[in-house]
Amino acid sequence: MSIRSDPLIGVVRPPHRAASLALWLDRESVFSWLMMTLPLLFLAAFVGYPFVYGILLSLQDRPVAQPGHFVGLKNFIADYHDPIFWRVAINTFVYTAVATLLKMVGGLGLALAMNQHFRMKNLVRAVLLLPFIVPTVLSTVAWMWMLDPAFSVVNRILIGLGWPRPGPSWLGNPILAMCSIIVINTWRGLPFYGITLLAGLQTVPPELYEAATIDGASGWQRFRYVTLPLLQPIILIVTLFSVIFTFADFQLVYVLTHGGPQNATQLFATYAFDIGMGAGQLGLGASVALTMLPALALLIVALTLYLRKQ
Amino acid sequence: MSGSSRRDFLKIALAGAAGATFAPGAGRAAGKTVTFLHESSFIKTFDEYMQNTLAPAYEKATGVKVVYELTSVGSLPTRISTIAETGSGADVTMIFLLYPFLFADKLMDVGDIAEDIGKQQGGWYDAAKEAGIVNGKWKAIPHSNIGQLMNWRTDWFAEVGVKKFPETWEELYEVGKKLKAKDHPFGFELGHGFGDNHGWLYPLLWSYGGREVEADGKTVVIDSDETARAVDFARKFFKDTMLDDVLGWTDVSNNKAWMAEQISCTNNAESILWFAKRDFPEIGKVTDQAQNPAGPKGRFHLLNCIGHSIFNFSPEKEETHKFLRWLMDEKQLGGWYASADSYYQPFLHAYDNAPMWQVEPRNIPYRDAMASAHLPGWPAPPNRQLAEVVAKYVTVDMFAKACAGAATKDVIKSAEAQLKEIYRAV
Amino acid sequence: MAQGMVPGMVTGHGWLERTLRVWLPVGCFLVLALFPFYWMAITSIKPNAELYNKNLMPLLVRNPTLKHYVDLLTETSFLLWTWNTMLVAVVSTAISLVLGTMLAYPLARMRFAGAGLIAMTVAAVYLVPQPLLFLPLADVINRLDLGNTLTSVILTYPTMLVPFCAWLLLGYFKTVPKELEEAARIDGAGRLQTMRQIFLPLCIPGFISAGIFAFTLSQNEFLYALIFLTKSSVRTVPVGVIAELIRGDVFYWGQLMAGALLGSIPVALIYSFFVEHYVAGLTSGSVKG
Repeated sequence: MSIRSDPLIGVVRPPHRAASLALWLDRESVFSWLMMTLPLLFLAAFVGYPFVYGILLSLQDRPVAQPGHFVGLKNFIADYHDPIFWRVAINTFVYTAVATLLKMVGGLGLALAMNQHFRMKNLVRAVLLLPFIVPTVLSTVAWMWMLDPAFSVVNRILIGLGWPRPGPSWLGNPILAMCSIIVINTWRGLPFYGITLLAGLQTVPPELYEAATIDGASGWQRFRYVTLPLLQPIILIVTLFSVIFTFADFQLVYVLTHGGPQNATQLFATYAFDIGMGAGQLGLGASVALTMLPALALLIVALTLYLRKQ
Repeated sequence: MSGSSRRDFLKIALAGAAGATFAPGAGRAAGKTVTFLHESSFIKTFDEYMQNTLAPAYEKATGVKVVYELTSVGSLPTRISTIAETGSGADVTMIFLLYPFLFADKLMDVGDIAEDIGKQQGGWYDAAKEAGIVNGKWKAIPHSNIGQLMNWRTDWFAEVGVKKFPETWEELYEVGKKLKAKDHPFGFELGHGFGDNHGWLYPLLWSYGGREVEADGKTVVIDSDETARAVDFARKFFKDTMLDDVLGWTDVSNNKAWMAEQISCTNNAESILWFAKRDFPEIGKVTDQAQNPAGPKGRFHLLNCIGHSIFNFSPEKEETHKFLRWLMDEKQLGGWYASADSYYQPFLHAYDNAPMWQVEPRNIPYRDAMASAHLPGWPAPPNRQLAEVVAKYVTVDMFAKACAGAATKDVIKSAEAQLKEIYRAV
Repeated sequence: MAQGMVPGMVTGHGWLERTLRVWLPVGCFLVLALFPFYWMAITSIKPNAELYNKNLMPLLVRNPTLKHYVDLLTETSFLLWTWNTMLVAVVSTAISLVLGTMLAYPLARMRFAGAGLIAMTVAAVYLVPQPLLFLPLADVINRLDLGNTLTSVILTYPTMLVPFCAWLLLGYFKTVPKELEEAARIDGAGRLQTMRQIFLPLCIPGFISAGIFAFTLSQNEFLYALIFLTKSSVRTVPVGVIAELIRGDVFYWGQLMAGALLGSIPVALIYSFFVEHYVAGLTSGSVKG
């Protein structure tokens, strides 16, 4: 601007200030922080605050409808001495690890199978998502019936092959019960894994396959050296989501076995619920739920490192 | 409008249009009323009697409106917790099991009503006092028991020569062995349900003289010969008479198994008979009910007392108090009990010979069972430790693990360790 | 490659090879995925007498009846619950998409101090498990006096949806070419204007894919609904069905299965409509994200 601007200040100022306000708002940092304010406030209010509250709860002795008082790590020490707690921890890790593995492998298989053209592909794709769409509690009720030895098709087949009646007790035997919940979880989550991986498969440029074929690579080698590496980011993301959801699973067990037989299917979420809502011990329940956090963080870090290395 | 503000507009419009389900406070009734929270009854006519007969009658007599709020089966503890925590939501509520003790601080002392009613209607069963009195004060007016008793197939028992239900556990065991051989096994829940497992396991333990914790609420005495005998019995009872699947059963499983004609005997509330009569009349005809068998130290039953409590923070305390007194008066109470036939077993001796027992005489054992009914964890006083023991299935799993094959010594030791840990602070 | 060919297309081989490569594996997955639905469908039309009969082959029905569907629709509040569920799902999804965008856009496009920290915080929020939050959230909801209102779940569902939407949208936003926005800025448009008028319309596939996932999670949610919604009139399908079609220890199996089918098939049909966009959205967003 020229030196002439000074006498003109009185006239120019209002629009200048409005313009500079607009300019200020448009600065990257200002714009960004303003934009993020609402969601951050929301998360702070509905996640941050309850999270801190939850931590405080876990450090208190807090029976329902009564005031709490601070007891430090007493709840965690009680959990440490609680044999059910350790059973629950093992159950949750095993459940998560096996189900996720099955979903990953199965999902990949599904994606490969679906990555071919055939009629009604879109319909099949949508229909395959049904296990994921149907409310878990309802499909679990159906499974309850399917796993009853008297009605189970598998049992009938096994009995036909010579197995002694009435056949395996899918929900009564601790190991079979854990297998059952893993199977149901896999059934529920595999389609989502599969469809997502399929999306990834479809972005692999065909030229890469052609080049590999020209170089003499077999089908398996093409898969191992072309497909897998390119799918890695998707596999990572879907697996992370899957691990988080599976680890915190509640509905399936709550409806099917409520933790039985003898706590063989008790998970962190259902145990915390029983203690908090059943026994009315809100502090102790919170302490069980809180232990999920470092466990989950550990799993995620380990997973990320492992997959990044591949 | 761009995408996001279109979304905003829609949100606001919807919120405005459906204000009733969204606005704060919309969950409660407004105005001078008494809000009566109740769990939805298994017997529809019972709720209807309150809604269509009792509530209007009270309003006509006093001008006070009674709002009968029903919450679905299983969600009452959650609802009560919420109300107790926030200090608002209902004035008087149905309450059961150990909840009068857990929420005692928020419940009004209703001893005056209890004394009155007791005098008026023949006196209370001891079990009622066990369930309603907390630290010497009545915190709930007991209404009825929902008993857990033996259900048995008269036709199949007759096939092995048994016309009357066995008196003792050992006799029942012998019958069970024969019936299992005929492909009509027993089915007693050993999983993580709530009623049908505690309904026979605690009475089994007590009838052998076993107990978790003494009446002083401190001494853990589960490690005893009596307990060992009960556990040993349970193991052979499971192995020789039952389906394997019962280890994973929840409360619904034995009902299902009964209608599928898989089992010949189980422990249940009246729901099996009721449902059979309604949907499977042929099965209903051959279903009968009986008291639990006796062990060496007596015959016991599980107490599942439904009662009513007044929240002491209720703004309508006085009105609610009057309402409850009116409700429990024999003029109202008798009709209300009768509307559900004998599904609810009254705790007042005046009803011991009421006509409603003749509507379905097979329910009479439920009445007789009340004399020997106790809360889970008895004789330990009901308190938070007991609630924790029950919520963690300590006793149920002790029996279940033994049935699944573990040694009696081990399961008792492990239960003892858990109990000691839970009762340590006392 | 010949014209009109697409990678992976099975051509020039006999129907046998086609069957082995396509129909056998796909068929396998279809059977495994749909078998329980077949069971649900059969159960929902079986009269009780057949349903409980353990001697009959469970996979067949002799005297089909629509009684369970009729009972479900007339004797329970199933339609009301479905309405509640859809309403809650739509509004929660909308809120989550909006808030997710507000988080993802600056992180994708702007450079500013604290960006890394925010990104990590959002990811960390995702790790906080529902079972830990439900107790304190119950307290928050009660203090706001929102117990037994749909608002309680509409406000709490985004807690699990916003981080996911933000994450997914972030990946997607990064793949959108910057040229159009830069051109608009050179023309003098403000950042907000650019974002709303130029950028967001390009991201529809991303919104669809995030929206579909959020919608599914929302209509499937159980724990918060169990705690906050205890009156029948405000219940959502998962809780309503479990609470009211299970009276004490009696399950109304036929009606439960009818509810399962009525609750999922319409949604699946909607999905089949959107699935093209869904896949496209995920592809751009995730592989490069």
